[in-house]
Amino acid sequence: MSLIKIEKLTKQYGLLPVLRGVDLDVGAGEFVTLVGPNGAGKTTLLRIVATLLKPSGGEVSVGGWPLPSHAQKVRRYLGLVSHYTMLYGDMTAEENLLYYARLYQLDAAEKRVTAVLKTVGLAARQYDFVRTFSRGMLQRLTIARATLHEPDVLLLDEPYTGLDQAAVALLDELLREQHGRGRTILMITHDLLHGLTTCDRVAILHRGKIAADLSTAVTDGTQFMATYKQITQGGAHG
Amino acid sequence: MGNFWAAVTAVVRKDLTIERHTGQSISVMVVFALAVVVTFNLALGGNLDAARNVSVGLLWATILLAGTLGLNRSFAAEQENNSFDALLMTPVDRSAIFLGKVISVSLLMFVLEAILIVVFTAFFNKPFYLPTAVLILVLGTIGYVAAGVLVTSMAMQTRARAVLVPVLLLPLTLPVVLSAASAMASILDTAVFIWDEVGFSISLVILFDVLMLAVGAVTYQFVVED
Repeated sequence: MSLIKIEKLTKQYGLLPVLRGVDLDVGAGEFVTLVGPNGAGKTTLLRIVATLLKPSGGEVSVGGWPLPSHAQKVRRYLGLVSHYTMLYGDMTAEENLLYYARLYQLDAAEKRVTAVLKTVGLAARQYDFVRTFSRGMLQRLTIARATLHEPDVLLLDEPYTGLDQAAVALLDELLREQHGRGRTILMITHDLLHGLTTCDRVAILHRGKIAADLSTAVTDGTQFMATYKQITQGGAHG
Repeated sequence: MGNFWAAVTAVVRKDLTIERHTGQSISVMVVFALAVVVTFNLALGGNLDAARNVSVGLLWATILLAGTLGLNRSFAAEQENNSFDALLMTPVDRSAIFLGKVISVSLLMFVLEAILIVVFTAFFNKPFYLPTAVLILVLGTIGYVAAGVLVTSMAMQTRARAVLVPVLLLPLTLPVVLSAASAMASILDTAVFIWDEVGFSISLVILFDVLMLAVGAVTYQFVVED
């Protein structure tokens, strides 16, 4: 069953078309990575699913609820991790998470916040200002923020940007843990091979359309790179 | 309804927590306001009568300009790490966000105004502390901030935010500022409250407040969403 269903999705900014009829299904519990060159429309697509942008045409639904008409209902089930932390540097880690816990009306917010901070390995920095955190710590806290309300769908927008090797490994581990819990994950990334190793399926978005949709179970890195090059450099228009 | 007020409280609490940790908005507004008062006093060359005549106008001009700084600071924190996107992704009514922002910025403005009342009373020897004058100040501030939150939220999505806010906000809030200043001047001149003299101006201020709060609550989702 599709948890995220996208059909003939279009989006244009003024006269500039960015998405030109995207079709993509993401099943419950699936981890799908979306790759593509700059300007392919990856972030636009993710922001539409995240209810932050309205589509120009086509249909998008999450959990069977169409967007944008049922955005308010869908928001409770979505979490977004981006290269922006979406955290307030002048508040402590605990204050940041408590703020979001209150907005999501979570029960036993303080206990929940303490537990989530422990999960991402930041319990010792609970009372420290976020502006004093390293990039890796910020990304862990960002995941804590995005998963605090136990969303069914986790949306990831270039989550590896600016991370060193140790932080990348830690993020991989956290994502595997989230996926293991049955969370549906839709990630966009520039890191082609990394995207391939962590997910169940990888889709290539090129010139506003899905040009390929491959299962990682039957596609190795070499095959994938060849397909990607053929699509993005060979002029395939999807 | 409980959810609505919980969201309003969360937004207010967050803004006040940031202000408690940094003190940035208040300190910037107070320093700016004091600089304006001292500059005007020097410009008027110690002519107390002239200074007293323009004191109410000066108070409102100071509040307007310091207010734009406070509004910009409040929304700069939302933009810093795209935090506003995370707020928009929560299942919170957009009007709750609007109201939360109006309350938090108004509270900061009230702190500024409390300081200004003391300073203006001392500098201009006029009873700015009269309860009716304070009430007009509070009512005028609410309307001004409600309009300010709407305008700043719109301008936030453009690159020219710092320029757009004063350019759009000052003409928009002229009715409430003129009415409030006129009512306040009348009260401070006579030190008594005569409804026949100030009733119309105060009614205009209240009407502006209600209108701005209603327009903001209804339209905020269209202002902040794509």
